[in-house]
Amino acid sequence: MEIRIFQIVVPLIALFFIFGAIFHYHKSKITIYETALRVAFWLAALLVAFFPDFFSNGIARIFGIRSNVNAIIFFCLGILFFIQFKMYFIIRRQEKDLTDLTRQLALRDHPEDRTP
Amino acid sequence: MQAPLRFSKSFELAVMIRKTDVHFFIPAFNEEQAISEVIKTVRRCGYTNLYVVDDGSTDRTAEKARQAGAYVIRHFLNRGAGAATQTAIEWARKAGYAYMVLMDADGQHSPQDIEALVQRMAAGSCDIVIGSRFLHDVSAMPRTRRWLNHMANVLTNLFCNYRYTDTQSGFRMLNRRAVENLHLTLDGYGFCSEMLILAEQNGLKTAEVPTETIYTRYSLAKGQDFYTGIRTALNFVWNIIFK
Repeated sequence: MEIRIFQIVVPLIALFFIFGAIFHYHKSKITIYETALRVAFWLAALLVAFFPDFFSNGIARIFGIRSNVNAIIFFCLGILFFIQFKMYFIIRRQEKDLTDLTRQLALRDHPEDRTP
Repeated sequence: MQAPLRFSKSFELAVMIRKTDVHFFIPAFNEEQAISEVIKTVRRCGYTNLYVVDDGSTDRTAEKARQAGAYVIRHFLNRGAGAATQTAIEWARKAGYAYMVLMDADGQHSPQDIEALVQRMAAGSCDIVIGSRFLHDVSAMPRTRRWLNHMANVLTNLFCNYRYTDTQSGFRMLNRRAVENLHLTLDGYGFCSEMLILAEQNGLKTAEVPTETIYTRYSLAKGQDFYTGIRTALNFVWNIIFK
């Protein structure tokens, strides 16, 4: 079996982040849920790097796309759009919370004759 | 105390609005150069209930507003004109004010027009009075700004039953019913359009009166520029799609 460069680089990067996640968990910087999520993501990347043809052909077959390369591109685009939208809604919720907090602080602590 | 009622010639229910019943709210962000004069101008018209919502200014806006005789409500962070306006509305709601007037802090509104808003409100059958620059002579308005305002009117009127001539005017008078029913969600300039859409959705009656705009180098520099206008429009549409 021919080993391509990305099959060495990607697993190294994945291992680096997996150990990083475990290290952060031990330092109590992230929760067990976040650790599991990060480890699962990088394990998936590691597996895809080891068996690229198996995964790309599988995705092409599932989505009915002939070329496995096109299937991977569409699949990744879909994931990126999903993450983008998720990020947008998270930011929007936080912006709203920030505005609400700013408003609550602005409306309190006024002299009695001025209290609304 | 409730304002006494009277009937106008058209037999519509009209009210007498006393100057002490009207509370002015001026959202301001870094307006130290103009805020004092705006407050003094309103005071000269006989209105003494003045509030400045300082939207996290980094200059001496709050200090100047206090010196000029306004009460300052301060956002510790800059959250945008819409957020400051909603803070003003919530203050008025909690305080139980009968009427509130919103006006810009850059001095672009003519003090004579305050009476036009108050009289239209007093005439009855209306919950929000909008000071429309486009019902007045707008020859002094820069072409780019006129075009931007026109585009904003077209966009906003798509979602409204009434055809507004100036959807972006910051000069507005609200009665108690409007204050109770309006809950703005947009933090930026899009609140101007959002307020009109929400008003119609809540069954509030609106009216427009012509108001003059005083264009100075300062007020021109402070208003919405082309970039902000486009961003506001995109945010407005985005918010409608993904609300």
